[in-house]
Order: sequence, then structure tokens, then C-alpha cells
Amino acid sequence: MNSRLFARFALTMAVAGSAVPADAALKVVATTSEYGALATAVGGDRVSVTTIAKPTEDPHFVDARPSQIVAMSRADVLIEGGAELEVGWLPPLLEGARNGKILVGAPGHVVASEGIQLVDIPAAADRSQGDTHLAGNPHFMLDPENAKVVAAHLARVFSALDAGGAAAYAANLATLSSTIDAKMLEWTAALAPYKGREIVTYHPTWRYFSRRFNLVAETFLEPKPGIPPSPPHLAEVIAKMQSDDIKVLLVEPYQPRKTAESVAAHNGAQVVDVCQFPGALPGTATYVDLIDVNVKRIAQALAAGTH
Amino acid sequence: MDLLTLWLWPLVALVVLPAMLVYFGLHVVGRGIIFVDLALAQIAALGIATAILLGADPEHGSLPWVLAIAFTLAGAALFSLTRFRHERVPQEAIIGIIYIVSAAAATLVLSRTAAGDEEIKNLLVGNILLVSRTEVLRTIALFAGVGIFHYALRRRFHLVSFDAEAAEKMGMSVRLWDFLFYATFGLVVTSFVRIAGVYLVFSYLIVPAVCGALLSAKTTRRLAIGWAVALTAGVSGLLLSTQWESMDLPTGPTIVCVFGLLLAVSGAIAFGRHRREGRPARG
Repeated sequence: MNSRLFARFALTMAVAGSAVPADAALKVVATTSEYGALATAVGGDRVSVTTIAKPTEDPHFVDARPSQIVAMSRADVLIEGGAELEVGWLPPLLEGARNGKILVGAPGHVVASEGIQLVDIPAAADRSQGDTHLAGNPHFMLDPENAKVVAAHLARVFSALDAGGAAAYAANLATLSSTIDAKMLEWTAALAPYKGREIVTYHPTWRYFSRRFNLVAETFLEPKPGIPPSPPHLAEVIAKMQSDDIKVLLVEPYQPRKTAESVAAHNGAQVVDVCQFPGALPGTATYVDLIDVNVKRIAQALAAGTH
Repeated sequence: MDLLTLWLWPLVALVVLPAMLVYFGLHVVGRGIIFVDLALAQIAALGIATAILLGADPEHGSLPWVLAIAFTLAGAALFSLTRFRHERVPQEAIIGIIYIVSAAAATLVLSRTAAGDEEIKNLLVGNILLVSRTEVLRTIALFAGVGIFHYALRRRFHLVSFDAEAAEKMGMSVRLWDFLFYATFGLVVTSFVRIAGVYLVFSYLIVPAVCGALLSAKTTRRLAIGWAVALTAGVSGLLLSTQWESMDLPTGPTIVCVFGLLLAVSGAIAFGRHRREGRPARG
């Protein structure tokens, strides 16, 4: 076998083709792409960002590839959502990467949910409620106000680890926050006509989003979080959609669209493709674009469902 | 480069553990029960699902593993009882049925609990890149124990797998020895699936044994060829996937594809010999 020679050749190719700026002060690894997008916005060209889960991949389940462990072994900062979203796969990756800088408790380990008020915290910690996250619902990044909190958290951590960039991080953070504030007015206005309207979603992903924009997203195709829909539960959802005249059903890229379509067909509701991770749908490269696309699609569907 | 730091334990696992699988693979291919490994792994999954139904926490606690082993042993008993002397029903059919019924039963059991299918899958199906030192060392100890047991009784295990009639004439209880075979095999398969996943366990069992059978008729030589094939596939697959960074290939599937290549090479060699000698390759 010539695998050593081959490996060396491949390695040379990889280094030559690498797009990471050599002068990045911080190497950042984000578990999912919304944290990657925020890290890029706050860090600018002082950071190089790698995202572990693909935006179209279910963040509850991620299969490890070699590059992910290598990236984590070289990282200065790791950003995880926390709230147990990545609990199934991040601990073994962390163990495999053997990098003291990003271990739990190290300054380079960012838990984004710290400082966020979570909803859906179960009163009793037991498994009868499905794949419930005991820490609370982890999909808080779909509320732009929470994204601002996380961005500020990132700016603090980046500045502590790279003091020379503190001014740049502060300036980037200010730009991002004011962009979000400006867009917030637009988004709120776009959804204001539908105040109090109900939508159905596959998984409780849209709880924070709906609270922020005065919608109601409390009916789910999953009978319990993480449990695939059972026929009796779907029958209940169909009945509710008919009696309450719910015309919008949200699905994300890794959720079964067929199930959603067959439910929606009963009362002529619209299945709307939305996503919680930048890059999963066209035109959602940055965090602001992500919220923009989601708001537009949901507003459009709600408008179509209005009699 | 990172080979001895980041990938040390996957490498150790891929060098040491396949020895036992290649040995069992010769038996499994000899008996013509190719899919028994998948069936046993599925029975173990049913055990874990049952433990969850009884209220055990699948990630901690010992009940899931106690039940996984108990179910595996029950499966071993079932397989040893369903080997008919005069084959009216091929055993592969029984194995298929046991596989599909335990898979469906696990789904039914889980629908009564709050845990998702994926949760069981995560527990049962590992990723070779993420093995920990403890896992590798524990599995090596288990495999060594099973290996010593089989080495000490190798003549009997060989006889019962390859010539059950002669074994019976010698007064051996074929059912008992079949049970011992399936029970030890089940332990090995279930723990390897937990480390490396279903694709790899199947490849490690079947491909080296088939390469050995293509290239030699002698058991010891088949074993040696099988070990060489397994070692080459595992180590070069790991190297390809970890060192060829621009491609970022997932490790398990890379190893399986290298296995496919090695089988093709073995087939070509056997075919060449057959042409040269004007008769089937028989040794």
C-alpha cells in the first residue's frame, strides 16, 4: 500500500486548497449555522468559522466526520446552543478532539443559552414527555432579541481571548444589533395584521418566534417532541385545524414534508417551508436574511389563508 | 500527522477487534447464515427498547444492557432451536423473520414510551471515529475472553459449524454447541455494532471470509487471508478518511468501500488462477 505517500499528497492538496485566512486571530467552531452566522457577523475577518451540523441536517442527530474532529481539535472557541440540543453527539466529539481550550467550563466554550430566558421547562423531569429537553426549549435563536443577547455574549468571549480585536468586535456587534433593531420594526409590521393567529408546526421549533411576533404555535404534528406522528394524534391535529380554521403548517428541511402535506390537504391549509438554520433555504446566508425569509414566507401564507 | 493523537483509539480498535469478527465470519459464511449478525443486533435493540418501557434511563443505568444481553441469549437459543436437520425451511428464512419481527416489535414497544427510534439507534450504532479509550479497552477484554473460550474448544466449534452430522455421531449435543456459538457471537456482534455501526460489522464478518474462501480451501490459511484483508481495509480506510482532508470522507463507509475493492482484487486473483490451472481454485 502506498497510503502514506498518498496521504501526504492529499494533505498537500488540502492545505493548498484551504480557504481559511491564515491571519485569523481566532478559530471558531459552531455546532449549528445560526451560531456560525453570528460568529462571522461579530468576528468579521478576525475569525475563521467552521460549522459542524449542515443547515439541512436535524441538529438533534449529527454523524461525525473526520474534519469536524480536526476542526474542534484546533479551535480556540466552540459555540454550542446548550439546552441539551446537541447532547446526543457533542460530548463524544469533544472527547475525541482532545482540546483543553474548548472543554466544558473553559473560557473558549460558549453555551449560547446562558443568559436566555427559556420556555417549556418541564415541571417534572421525566421521560414520559418525549424527547423533552429538561433545560427548556432550545430553539430560542428564532427570536431576534435573543440573537442580540447571544451576539453580545460572543463579542465578550472573543474580546477576552483576542484583546487586540476588542474594538473591532464591539463595532461589529453594534452594527449587527442596530441592523436587527431596524429590521425588527419591519418584521413586526409584516406580521402585525395576523396577531393571535394560530399556526401548526411539525416540532416545537417556532415557540420563541411566535411569542415575539404575537402568533400562536402550540399545535405540533409530533405527539411529543422527537416522537414521530401517530395516526390518532394526526387525526386530532386535522380536527383542530378544521374547527379552528388553521391554514398554515410549517415544515423544516429535515422534517417529513409528505406527512405535513397529507394533514394540510384536509382543510386546504398551506405547507410552508421554513428553516431555523441559515443556509438551509435559498437566500438565508446571514442571520438577518434567515429571519427575513421566514417572516416573509409566513406572512405570505397567513395572508393567503385570510378569508 | 494527527494519526497517533486524534485517531489513536479508532486505530487500535480497527487493528485489534476485527480478529474476532473475521474468525466468526468464517463460521457464519460456512453455515450460510449471512444475516444472523443483523438479526442478533436487532434482538439486542428490542431488549433496550423493553428496558426503556420498564422505565430505565437508556443513557445511564444498567437495566438496558442487562436486558440487551438477556435478549441476545434468548435469540441465541431461538437460533439453535431452529436449525432443522432436514432443511425443509432454510435457516436464512427464519433469521430474516426473526430480524423483521424484532425490528417491528421494537417499534411497537417504543411507541408505548416517550423515546424516539433515533435514540435507540444512537445507543446501538456507534461511530468508529468517536470511540473512547474505555470503550475500546473494555471491548478488547470481552473479545479476548470469547477468543480464549473458542480457541480452547476450537475443534468442537469447527465440527458443529462445518459438519454437524459428524458432531452428532461423536455424541456432541448440536443444539447446546449451537447455543454457545450464537451466544458468544451475539456478545461480540452487539458490542462491535455499538463501537462501529452496522455497516462495519457486516463487512468485517463477511468480506474477509469470502476473500479467504476465494483464495484458499484451508481454514487456517483462510483465517490468515481474512485477517490481512480486515487489517488492510480498516487501516487504509481510516487513513483515507482522516488524512485526505479535502475530501472529508466519513470513515465507516470509506472502510466498507475499501473492503469492496479488496474483494474485487481477490476475485480477480482467484479467476486468474482458475484460468491458469484450468480448474476451480481449490487450494
